[in-house]
Amino acid sequence: MRLDLFNTTAFRLSVGYTLLVTLAVSVTLGSAYLLTESLITDEVDLIIDTELKSLEEKFARSGLPGVTDEINLRIDSWGRIGAVYMLADSSFERISGNVTHWPFDGMPTEARPEFEIATIEPGRRAVHPVRAAVHTLPGGDLLLVGTDISQGRRFAEKFRLATLAGIGLSTLAAALAGFWFSYRLARRVGEVTRTCQRIMAGEPGRRLPVAGANDEFDALAVSVNRVLDRLEEQARTLRATFDSTAHDLRAPLHRLRTRMDALLRAPALAPAVHESIEAALREVDHLQRTLGTLLQIALAESGAALASPAAVDVGELAAELVELFEPVAAAHGLSLECAPARPAVVQGNRQLLAQLLTNLIENSLKYVPAGGRISVAVQARGAGVRLTVSDNGPGIDAADRARAAQPFVRFGGGGTQEGSGLGLSLVAAIARLHRGRIELQGNDPGLRVVVELPA
Amino acid sequence: MHILLIEDDLESARLLVKGLSESGYHVDHAADGRDALARATAGQFDLIVSDRMLPHLDGLAIIELLRARGVGTPVLVLSALGAVDDRVRGLKAGGDDYLTKPFAFAELLARIEALLRRRPQAPRATRLQIEDLEFDLLARRVTRGGRELELTARELKLLEFLMRRAGQVVTRTMLLEGVWDLHFDPQSNLIDVHISRLRQAIDRGSDQPLIHTVRGSGYVLRSDA
Repeated sequence: MRLDLFNTTAFRLSVGYTLLVTLAVSVTLGSAYLLTESLITDEVDLIIDTELKSLEEKFARSGLPGVTDEINLRIDSWGRIGAVYMLADSSFERISGNVTHWPFDGMPTEARPEFEIATIEPGRRAVHPVRAAVHTLPGGDLLLVGTDISQGRRFAEKFRLATLAGIGLSTLAAALAGFWFSYRLARRVGEVTRTCQRIMAGEPGRRLPVAGANDEFDALAVSVNRVLDRLEEQARTLRATFDSTAHDLRAPLHRLRTRMDALLRAPALAPAVHESIEAALREVDHLQRTLGTLLQIALAESGAALASPAAVDVGELAAELVELFEPVAAAHGLSLECAPARPAVVQGNRQLLAQLLTNLIENSLKYVPAGGRISVAVQARGAGVRLTVSDNGPGIDAADRARAAQPFVRFGGGGTQEGSGLGLSLVAAIARLHRGRIELQGNDPGLRVVVELPA
Repeated sequence: MHILLIEDDLESARLLVKGLSESGYHVDHAADGRDALARATAGQFDLIVSDRMLPHLDGLAIIELLRARGVGTPVLVLSALGAVDDRVRGLKAGGDDYLTKPFAFAELLARIEALLRRRPQAPRATRLQIEDLEFDLLARRVTRGGRELELTARELKLLEFLMRRAGQVVTRTMLLEGVWDLHFDPQSNLIDVHISRLRQAIDRGSDQPLIHTVRGSGYVLRSDA
């Protein structure tokens, strides 16, 4: 199975993580930027206010000439860098100051209007942004005090660029880290998944890789491996139990049968005795058959892999078995037919697959009343083979189909039919041994058993 | 005929030795693997019947060792193990036939007989004949008293199997294995139905039936009842 990185939890988590990092960095740097910008503005405003205040006081003490002198003094000698002054009359005509003309359209409405002035500096012409305040002196003259804020602007601009770059870079870093993490995570989870699939597919000895990083994945792998060890151990014990059960039950059955056989060969046996010994022998054989089937089912259920599988043409096998059973079906008054065989090859065990088919056919033979029809079809499909055995007998109620393949489950109620009730269980077990599965469907009327076997 | 029975279960061994002796065989019994190997290597046996699970030495190991020592005595393996590939492993190890316990004594007898009578078939044999029943193996043509019989491919195979073992009792299991290559027992009376069809084709209209039922065992193809 190809791992789809974009569809992993790790990937979704890292996308979320990246977004969170971006948000956090944006909030932090953004608020720092906004704070710095407002601090710069506040400082400028404080200077403007202080100067306005001192010039107003000058006006109060020495009138318009005093203010003009003070302004000129500040411009010429000790004025602060970037200071802008202008004294204008009520019709905005310049009286004094270092601005050539009134920069606004009449009286500005804002408290801190901004404008630009052009200066000729050595070698180049420059435009400077200015932040200012205008005060109307008693008598109607206007006093404008401003500060060149180009330096602050430049600082803010740099700050903004740095902020954006910071956000961008940390987003990129978070995304890369997230991608890397999710890739690593997905790869390790993928390894676990793949290993589990191979174990399920019949490599019970396989274990999860331990990277040696001593991380939580290694801890998980170690734990899962321990569980697998335990399961394998249990399967081994179970198999050993099967083998010894098979031996321990069959040995006495064998002795019983041999004794009865010997008895049967005794000379001058009364016909009635002979008959009842033969009947008892049939019971022994039935017991042995049930035991054998149970052991076979148990072996398949223990998760044992199919020993030495070989290529089996299920189509050919089905045709052979249909040919084998056809006279029996005819004797039951049933028609048994097989769609023409085309090669449909799976890797498996011919005997087990023949047993599977036999059980399905015998199951139908048992339940379909005379005049009925049984058909066997084999289709080679892309990924394997589909084997279908269908009849027009009484079928199995939809509600009962799921448990029909469980051991010792029988339907039909009459109890007249022979059989161990293990037929379909063995079919399911053999299918599972071949990594396949069976499904019971309605055939309207009748039963259709579909066996899917991977190639 | 001299048979070596290798079986660790003494009760079963006693009954089998008794039964086989009554059937006219001379039987030696070995109860464990080492003893069995020593005897089988030293003695002149016509057949070895060996249990699969034995103390000291596994039944299959004995066969492999015997074959490695150049002892070609046919071996019939008896096993209480039921796994499907046991039979394959048994035959691969050099066994000649395989029987799962418990088995009917008649089945054992028939298999022993088959193994003892087995001879390298004359490979050039192109026709089989019993009385007026003739089987042309090359043309796959069967005639009874000169009259050609219509038989299906499977009936031909079944008849060939019986004719090659003419005079021998052939069990239903042997037929399933030999003709259909099926190594398990279906519940239906399949073989009986197929034999009865074949019998219809061969013996109908003849006052001398060739296919005979052996009660409790199987079938035999022979000229007189």
